[in-house]
This record gives sequence, C-alpha cells and structure tokens, in this order.
Amino acid sequence: MILKRAVLLFFVLVSILTATASPAFDISAVRGPHIRDLYMVIYRDPDSQIMALQKGELDVLGDITRPSDVERLASNPDISLSISRGFHLFFMGFNLRKAPWNDRILRQAAAMAVPSRQIVRDIFSGYSEPVSTYLPPVSPYHAPDVKTWNHDPEGARELLKDAGWTWSIDGRLVPPGETVPLGSFRLLSPTAQVAPTTAEISERIAAALNGIGVPVTVEPLDFSTMIRRLDMHDFDLFVMAWSLTRDPDSLFAFFHSSMDVTGGYNIQGLHDPDLDRILEELRWAPDHESAKIAAREAQRMLSEISPWIPVYSRYMVAAVRKGWDGVISTERTSSDNMWTLLGMKPSDGRERPVMWCLSEEPRSLNPLGTSSAYDWQVLGLIYDGLIAVDPESLEDIPWLASSWKIETLEEEGVAHTRLTFRLRRDVKWHDGTPFSSRDVRATLEFLRENEIPRYFDNVRDIDSIDTPDDSTVIVTMKNVSFWHFHNIGGSLVLPAHILEGIGNWETWQPAREPHPSVKGLTSLVGTGPFIFKEYRPGEYVHFVRNDGFWLSGGD
Amino acid sequence: MIKIPRWSFITFFLILVIAVFAPMGLSRSPQETVAKPFAPPAWTGGDAPPPFSAVLSPSQGIVVLDWEWEAPENISIKGELVFEGYSVSKLVWTTPDGRTFTLASFQGSGKWPLDLDGRDITFKTALGIPPLANALPLLFPSRGEHRVSIEGDIPSGGSLNLTLPGGKWGLMGTDQRGRDVLALFIMGIRVSLLVGISATLLASFFGLSIGLTSGYLGGVVDSLVMRTVDVLLSIPVLPILMVIVGIWGKGLWQLVIILGLFSWMGTARTVRSLALSLRESCYVENLRSIGASPWYILYRHLLPEAMPVLLATISLGVPGAILAEAGLSFLGLSDPRVISWGRMLHEAHGFGAFTAGAWWLIIPPGIGISIICLVFLDMGRSIEEMADPRLKGSLRQ
Amino acid sequence: MRSYWIRRAIGAAAVLLLVIAANFFLFRIMPGDVVSSIVDPRFSPEAKERMREVFGLDQPLLRQFVIYVRRMLTFDFGISFLSQRPIWDELRSRVPNTIALLGSALLISSALGTWLGVQAARKRGGITEKVVLISGSISFSFPSFFVQLVLLLFLAYTLPVFPLRGSVSIPVPQGAIDRMLDYIWHLLLPAGSLVLLGFGSWAIYVRNLMVKTLGEDFILLARAKGFSESRVLWNHAFRSALPPILTIFLLALPGIVSGAVITETVFSLHGVGKYLLDSIMGHDYPAAGAAFYILGLLTIISNLAADAAYAIADPRIKVGRRAGM
Repeated sequence: MILKRAVLLFFVLVSILTATASPAFDISAVRGPHIRDLYMVIYRDPDSQIMALQKGELDVLGDITRPSDVERLASNPDISLSISRGFHLFFMGFNLRKAPWNDRILRQAAAMAVPSRQIVRDIFSGYSEPVSTYLPPVSPYHAPDVKTWNHDPEGARELLKDAGWTWSIDGRLVPPGETVPLGSFRLLSPTAQVAPTTAEISERIAAALNGIGVPVTVEPLDFSTMIRRLDMHDFDLFVMAWSLTRDPDSLFAFFHSSMDVTGGYNIQGLHDPDLDRILEELRWAPDHESAKIAAREAQRMLSEISPWIPVYSRYMVAAVRKGWDGVISTERTSSDNMWTLLGMKPSDGRERPVMWCLSEEPRSLNPLGTSSAYDWQVLGLIYDGLIAVDPESLEDIPWLASSWKIETLEEEGVAHTRLTFRLRRDVKWHDGTPFSSRDVRATLEFLRENEIPRYFDNVRDIDSIDTPDDSTVIVTMKNVSFWHFHNIGGSLVLPAHILEGIGNWETWQPAREPHPSVKGLTSLVGTGPFIFKEYRPGEYVHFVRNDGFWLSGGD
Repeated sequence: MIKIPRWSFITFFLILVIAVFAPMGLSRSPQETVAKPFAPPAWTGGDAPPPFSAVLSPSQGIVVLDWEWEAPENISIKGELVFEGYSVSKLVWTTPDGRTFTLASFQGSGKWPLDLDGRDITFKTALGIPPLANALPLLFPSRGEHRVSIEGDIPSGGSLNLTLPGGKWGLMGTDQRGRDVLALFIMGIRVSLLVGISATLLASFFGLSIGLTSGYLGGVVDSLVMRTVDVLLSIPVLPILMVIVGIWGKGLWQLVIILGLFSWMGTARTVRSLALSLRESCYVENLRSIGASPWYILYRHLLPEAMPVLLATISLGVPGAILAEAGLSFLGLSDPRVISWGRMLHEAHGFGAFTAGAWWLIIPPGIGISIICLVFLDMGRSIEEMADPRLKGSLRQ
Repeated sequence: MRSYWIRRAIGAAAVLLLVIAANFFLFRIMPGDVVSSIVDPRFSPEAKERMREVFGLDQPLLRQFVIYVRRMLTFDFGISFLSQRPIWDELRSRVPNTIALLGSALLISSALGTWLGVQAARKRGGITEKVVLISGSISFSFPSFFVQLVLLLFLAYTLPVFPLRGSVSIPVPQGAIDRMLDYIWHLLLPAGSLVLLGFGSWAIYVRNLMVKTLGEDFILLARAKGFSESRVLWNHAFRSALPPILTIFLLALPGIVSGAVITETVFSLHGVGKYLLDSIMGHDYPAAGAAFYILGLLTIISNLAADAAYAIADPRIKVGRRAGM
C-alpha cells in the first residue's frame, strides 16, 4: 500500500515538473549563439550573488541552494526561476565489514527509521526530493517500482522484533541470541563549517537511529580526514553525496566487490556474488535493452541488501533575469545550461553582454588536468564532444558527429564493440583550421598514451582508431559495452595542432599561452560556440561569440 | 574613593548575572527548533498569525478555522485513519469563498497514513500549482471561515493532527534553523565573556611575569625582552591566529591559549616600565640593602604596586580578545558547536540573513559585542583613573 | 644616522626571520608524521614525494630551515594543493589589490586621524572632539565585519552607490583615466570602511598626545613670545609630538593588515588575505604559509617606508628618541 502510494506520488511529481518547464522544443531548431559578449563573473559570496541578480548586475545564476533565496527570488517579478531534478544522491553508508552492520535486517530497519521527507522539509523547505532507491529519480534507468524502506519507525521496530532483536532496559538494541546491547557507533560527517546542511542532516540521522535503539553519535571531521578514514575503511557509518551521470554503470563502481580496495568507491565493502553478476551484466551490456533490465535488477537487489540509506536528491534551481528570450529549461536541466547560452537574445533587441555567475575561481583552465567543476563551466563553452545530450529526454543527439553506428563484431571468437562516427564537415576550430578526424584520433591517442586520469577509464579499452577519410572515425574497442559509445562520444576533442605543442600536460596552462600562429587567441581553442578572450583572476572570464560556429546558421 | 559606581560597572554586573543565571532559566536546549526559520520577533508589527493546532477524528470529522490573519507560513496534517471494509474517503479544504481543494484521497480498506506538509512539492502539485509557488496563499485567500473535513466514508478509528505554525517567535525571533535567537544570544554572552576574560587573564599573567622580571633584572635580559616585544608587536595577529587555528583546530580553549600567547606584549611593556621606575626608588633600594631577596621584593612590593595598572590593562585588553574571537568566528574559524555571538553573525551571513533583511539575527549579536566591549573599555579607563587620578584631567572629559 | 639605519634594517630582518620561522615551525609542530599532516591524503605518492622535496623533508632540521628561508626569499613557494599551480602565480595577481587597499586605508586614516586629533586638541569640547571620541569608540568596540557588512548592504544594495564586489567594472572601461577612476570607485567602500574604523582611535591617540604637549612649558613660552596660535600648534606642539605619532603608525600597522583580511572577505576582493582564508579552509598549507609570509612582508616594508619617510621629512628630530618608546 505504502509502496503504491509512493509510486503514484512519483508520477504526479514527474508530470507537474514537466508541465511547469518551458514548452517542448525542438533542439535541432536551436541556432546560436546570438549574444556577442559573455562574461562569467566571479561572485563567491552567496549574498552578493543574490543581491547582484536582484540589482541586475547578473543575468544568470545557477545552483541556488538556500531555501530563503529560492523563496525570495520566486516572488521577484524581474526574475524567472527554473527547477529541475539533478543527478545527485545523498546517502548514509554502513560499514558492512563488521557487526552489527553486516546484518541486513538491521540495515533495513535503520532505513525505515530515517525520516527523509521531514529532513527535506526542514532543511530545504521542500526544495529537494526524498529518495529511497539507488539511482536518482531523474535517471532514465531509475526503477521506481522496486520495494523500498520508507519512513516507518514502528515498522522498523517490528521488523527487528520479528528477527529476534530485543531492547535493553535503557532502550538499546540487543542482537538476536545475545545479552549485551550494542555499543556506541560513530557517524562520520563533514563539519558544519564546510557543509552546514550535511552536518545538520547527519545529526537528524543519528537522532533517528538512536530512536530505534542504535546508539549513534556524529563525528564531524575535516573533509580530507574523513576521506582518509573512509579510504582506510576505518568507520562505522558515514554520509556522502555523489553527483552521478546519466549512465547507471556508476552502480558498478559503488557496489561491485572488485571496487572494495583501499581508496575504492565500494566504501561500504559490499561483497555479493549475485549482485556482482548483475553489475557485470550492466557494465558489459551490449545494448540499451539489456542495460535497462540489468539496471532495474541491480536496483531491486540493492534495495533488498540495503548497503546505503538513500536520503535525498537535490533539485537544481537556477534564475535568469527577465528580458532575455531563448532561455531553455526542462524538467531535467535547469536554465543555466549551454542551450540557454546558445538561444539567449535580448527581448528588446538591444545588444548587451550576458553576465553569468561563476561561484568559484576557475583553478587551472587546463582541460587535461583539472577536475574542478568551475573550470568545466568555462571549458564546456570552448570544447565540444562528438555527441551531445538532449536537455529534455537526455538522449544522445548529433553534435560534432552528424551520425554514428554502433556494432558488435565477432573476430576470432572475441566479441567487441566498434563505433563509427561520421563527422560534420562544416566545423572549424576557433583559429580557422578545419576540424577533421585527425583531431579526434590525436586526442584519443593523447589521452590513452598519457594515461590522463580523468579520461583514462573511457579510453583504456580502445583497441584501434582508424580514420579512413577526413570525416570518418572508426574506434574499435577491445570488448563489448553499451557505455563505450557514451565514453568515446562524450570525450572532449582538442585540436591536433595544439596537442603537438604540449610539453607536460599536467602543468599545461593553455589560457596563458598565446596561440602559436593566430594573434589575439590563446592555446585554449576549441570548436565550441564561444571563444575564450581573457581570464582576469578574481574578476571574470570573458568570451566572445564564435561567428564560425556551425550552429550560427546565418544569424 | 568609594562613590556611585559608573554605569559600566553596573552593566558588567548585570551581564555577569545574565551569563551565569539566565541559561538555567531556559526551558529547552538553545539548539532546539521552536518555530519556522527566520521568524521575526513577536512584538514586531504586521498581521502574522499565532500558532494553531486541531485534531480531526472519526467523531470530529470537520475543523473550522475562523481565520483573521494573513496566510500562515505552513500547514501540516499528520496522522492515520483506519477504515473497516472497503471505503472511499477524502480530505477536503474549503476556503471562505467556497472553493474546495482535495488535499488527499483514499480508496481501500485498513490504515490510511497521512503526512502532508505545505512545503512538499507533491502537496503543491496536488493543488495544481508550480513547485516554486507558495501553497498557503491559495489555501488562505482571505479572512473568514476555513474548513478542513473528512468526506465520504467515515473512518472507524485513528486521528489527524492539523498544525499551523506561528509566523513570529519570542523576543528576538528565530534563526535559519528555527532556533530561538534569544536563547542563542544568552548562551553567546558566556562564550564572549569566557574567551575575553580568560584570554586576557592568561595574557596578563604572561605580561606581568615577563614585565616584572625584565624590569627588575634590567640589562641584557631587559633589552632582549623589549626587542622581542617590538618584533611581536609588528606582526599582524589575525593572520597568525588564522594559521594556528587552521592547523591546531578550532576548539574554544585552543583559541583562548592562542589569544593569550599573542597579546601579552602591551602588559609586559607597561609593567616593565613601572618595575623599572620602582627599582630605582628609595624604598626598594633600602629593602635591597637590608638583604631582601629579589623574589621577595617582586612579590611583596612590586606586584601590589603593579596591581591597579594590571587591572586596567586586563579590562582594556578584554575587548581585543572578544573582537578577535568574533572575527575568527565570522571567518568560520571557530568551533561550530559552540554558540558565540561571532558564530551567530557568521551563520546569519552564511544563510542569507543580510539579504533577507532578518535584522533580528544581526543586530543583537553585533550590538551585544560592542556593548560588552564598551563596558570593559569604560571599566578599564575608570580603574586607570583611580590608579592615576592625573589621567582624569588630561585624557578624559 | 648610519647606525640608525643599520638598526632598523636589523630589526626588519629580525621580524622577517621570525615570520619565516613561525611559518616553518607552525607546520612542523603537528603531532604525528610530518608528511601525512602537511600533505593532503588525496594526493598520490608521487605528489607526496614532490612535497617532501619542496620542503626538503628528508634533510636535517637546520638544513631544512636554510632551504626554506632561501625558498621564501626567492618567492619559490611550491605548488598549491588545491589548484596544482605554482603558488606565486596565484598570489601575484592578488598582491596589487592588497597593497592598494592597505596603502590607501593606512595613508588616509593616518592623515585624517592626525589632522582631526590636532583639531580636537585645539578646541576641547568642540564638534571635532565629539566626532573623534565617538568614532574612536566605534572602532574600538564594533566588530569590523559587522560595520562593513551593514555598509555593504546599505551602500551597495539598498542605495546602489557602490559596486557589490571586485575591483573592476565589467566590461572594463576604455582609457587609462577611466580605468583608474573605476578602480578607485571599487576600492572606495572597502578602503573607506577601513578608514572609518581606523581614524577614530588614531585621532584619540594624537589628541591625547597633543593635549599633553600643549600643557608643557615650552608651549607656554612660545605663546608668551607671541607666535600665532596655528604656528604654536603645528610648528611647536605637533613637531615635538611627531615621534610618538610615528610609533602609533607602526603600532597601527599590524591592526590594519588584520583588518584587510576581513575586509577582503566581506567585499569579495581578490587579495592576499582572502587567499589566506581560502587556503586555510582548504588545508592548502603551503599556500597558507605563502600568503602569511606575503602579509608579513608587506607589514615589514610599510614599517621601513614609514621610517624612511619620517627621517627624510624631519631630519632635525633625533632619530634616537624612538628607541626609548
């Protein structure tokens, strides 16, 4: 009964979020960019961000997290807010390597003790989504109909009682067949200083667990210390949040037994041969259909095993000042996206620069070395991938590659995936050099040869790269996986003529190196809609429109 | 000498009484949530409603609210109804103008658990409004009679609790987590006083020992100490504190010790010059000539002489320590579990109280810090005057 | 005269050495293994090895210290944990902002404070004196960030006279003069708030000194000689009060540097103080050490500059008098 209602709520929620998003649009009709100048302005203080947006100093502000800001901006007539679901998942993990957390019943009861919905209300004023499964609801692979452990403290007690657990006089749980109650456990959490909401949620979870007789206290730790403790598996319980991608094979990284190594992603130490088998099927799935079946089965088993207590998934809230046409937001993509930047033009036709908030300093602007999300906000406008993601359906759409073919070949008894990309012929790098299959090959080879950490997992299974002509790339993989296509197609592409000149990729600073041949450009040249002009530390990053962009379409 | 004490002494006494006794009067932990976040103080103007709660049950299937205020901040309906046999039932909200909203509906038999909250996006969805809108003005469009009722089949058991939280709270409102600002403010006095006084006492102890020794012994020791004082005085203290706190940890006592270690220089200088002048005076000469040990002279004669000066420097030093604690807290370099006024300002800033115009979160700790500092400054000056009445004429009006 | 300069130089070198030594030892008094405490656990073994090299951690302590001093003096601060870039690269763009903020705040508040102090001493009980006393109390007792946040809220948002952040307008104005004016406009609120918080206590010191001086015999003598009141005030009283005023300048310096850290945070200025805070928050110890060193260096340089200005401006006053202060 409870389960069914949850399902119902889910569908209602999906439909309303869709209904409030801007009307369906045809992504292939987008032309742009229209704006001539784009400034990513560095506002690090959330107060100044909000004030600047209200004053009109900022046009676009993403990632608004404080509920009081959401409420205030929602009532501001000059600002339009968008809300979308994110690939974010916050959870509490158990250390399954030791008692009592190796007891599945106890974990399920613990999950039933945590009031996720009330936490979302109190901490986020409702602007987040309580979750109970192992993929965020926005994921195309999310299975809403698996059995989950929703908030029900009474049910938790009954579950424990039926399994033979008892309670001592002071209310502590006593494991079945034993007389000594549970000792005290510590929940590792970042400090309130670094992550105030996370620290608060940890306190709530600890209180809930104490409520069913599990003595838990929060141990606030400096983040790097906490990571070290988790890496060394020196913990009882921990809280953590991941930002996931649209592909569900992250489940493999989090729960496959091979990932339970020092510093591995399987922090909780889950070893389950049945689940391993399903996760392997998921990782090496040959096509979408089998991936979907495996993802669903994995979620069902995970819910049964309960290695985590999933708590919530963040909504992404973004604000754009009124007075701009062409702003694009969907249920799955908030308005601070690349499509908005392509489509944006002033409603009154008066040409003016767009001020886009960057909430942290970019760190190195090195596409090969950086893992900072703020660097990627900048780099993402400069570099393109072979394929792009539809903001509404999250499906693959043609980008630098106009079409592709995914085949599973069988040679000498070994099956492997072969990807054939047909590239657009009208694409030029910012310096005017035509984009060709050589650039793709040079990039993939560079990434593989230098074992660049950020990309190495994507390219390590490449067997060979062929370029029969300037607009065809054939990538042959060593094995079969549906995800190879996303990994290769989504990888960044750098110009071959710039790659040649890179000495040490770790210390490469393309934003500071002048372009080898074209005056006024840096080595930070891509095929993207905007050309990098200047980064002024502490102030802004300035871009100008790439008039040669292949989507400009005679604007 | 004895006359009506100055205002600062009276205020100090009052603050001390509040700091010691008021926390005992608090009926709950200051960390507890008492009302909605950012609720303004109850005495502010406006038309915010008081808290309201009611129970819906099989015997009492309708609740009528005679509403005379603005829409409340939130609505919450929680509980469980039980139906025997197959039933169809729904929970209906009726506004004064006759509009009805179905808040929830049930079909089947057995338990119907309900947990509705005006902030839930699912709740807004069910009312047909966008997720970023506020549901309450829709449910409370005007003053008058609002009803919430169970319609359809009558449940056989269970009950529902309807709660409308008040929009205002207490003398000083609430903070971003809905905690009582008054309680936090009172707890904060303790920390400010504790840090200010103990750090200064520690610094004075160092200053006194170093100053007396240096002044009395003179010579190489003296010039060495004074050069060290010069050097230490020309290093900015806040960056040092930041670095040490960053490495050593953010505990309260760490802070006290660090503050003590870096603020003894002024006292040492004053005490040293006093000791220097006393050393040359006749009676100390005499004492020395009759064979009194240096420690005896220091302890029995120089120390009592230095006492008033010392009291004044302590009193004048406390504001520095309090402000340093506030500054570090504001930068986020203090223990988040310890409530202090600086911490309150840090959180108010971090959670957007400044842009939200939540002055009740900003003014009390800000003014509180400055009042305590002014009190200590004034006490220090009057102690100085008592010790050296000449100052009165030239330095103060 | 020469011995004076030698003494000042030795003094400055001593402070510099102390700053470096503090930096050096602070990161080594941590309990446990030095490398594990100063090296972020997220880094690979190679990165740890590189840090060992940068700090010379495999050498004896004294040798490490010598290496460290040399690195500091050549601005070779190593690589930042957070950005993986040379620290000096990151600091370089911040130093000018901090110097501009510190310099303008220091000069204006000292000039304004001195002038007001002298005026207050001349007319006891007048408006100037009240202003001096009130602003003195404010700067003594109000937390600086509180005053600054309130100023920012009212003067940059409610009444948008000043910018909310940063040191340039976007887009940057054309022309050198416009750019200069734009920079000053951006600096006005942060520096102005520092002046507001600083000039009062300064003026009180000067006033007290002047009141004392004006009561001395040689002033009576000067008056008796029939010199004009302003001549007595500036040529006699003020001049003889100058040495202690200079001492105040030197004593106020560290306070202003501390204030700059908070000011840069409140006004989101791209400066060294904000970098120090970010590095401490991110446990980027080499970067924090470098930022602290730069702040210390700025203090020492201003110190020396004040000495020089003073010696040049008024060579008649015997420089030796300061030693007794």
